[in-house]
Amino acid sequence: MTLTGMKKHVGVLEQAGLVTTEKVGRVRTCRLGLRRLEEEVMWIESYRQLWDARFDELDEVVEELKRKERVDGRRKK
Amino acid sequence: MDAGRNSQANPMKNRTSVERKSERELVVSRIINAPPRIVFEAWTKAELFQRWWVPKSFGLTLLSCELDVRVGGVYRLVFRHPDAPEPMAFHGRYLEVVPPSRLVWTNEEAGDNGQVTTVTFEERGDRTLLVMHDLYPSKEALDAGSGSTDGMDETFNQLDELLAGLSAERS
Repeated sequence: MTLTGMKKHVGVLEQAGLVTTEKVGRVRTCRLGLRRLEEEVMWIESYRQLWDARFDELDEVVEELKRKERVDGRRKK
Repeated sequence: MDAGRNSQANPMKNRTSVERKSERELVVSRIINAPPRIVFEAWTKAELFQRWWVPKSFGLTLLSCELDVRVGGVYRLVFRHPDAPEPMAFHGRYLEVVPPSRLVWTNEEAGDNGQVTTVTFEERGDRTLLVMHDLYPSKEALDAGSGSTDGMDETFNQLDELLAGLSAERS
């Protein structure tokens, strides 16, 4: 791999948040950055929280429907 | 401690799980403490549906909710969020309606990139196992919807190449 090709690759990775680089003198050090992966994990967790909140309210609606069914059932008897 | 207090305050609460099943699929599941016919009713009657679909804690206001739950029927939900200047509309049509066990609908607000959602209500004693399955037309559509990066694969391929190149140079 040429130095130019290498610079290009590192640039792409840096833009994607997958690596961070630091230049000290003539040496540029790369580190793995997990920003994008963390973003996906965080997004899934926020999606889970949305559904959890929805289901909590759904619980209340179905409890009410169950109570209503029991009352209606008793009336019919 | 806290967990104990929470479970006391809400002893009926079940766990919600979300799983990315594949590049194009997202699955949400949860047990609901009611038989499928009741859960199906809460999902298909607009006056019930709008009471839970928009959680109070998310700051959204539901402006309108129309559900024409039959095969080919359309639904349309309009929300307002304090951060968005314009109301947001979500709409699509029902592809399958099988009371009380299955609903399939399209999500057309994102044009051709919308997912097809399948919800199944499986009887578990006097409870229901609810599974909601979203199938996106492509990995990119799911990623765009989730706000994560497009072209992750491309980036990882480039990372592989880079690492292969580096180790070749060292040896």
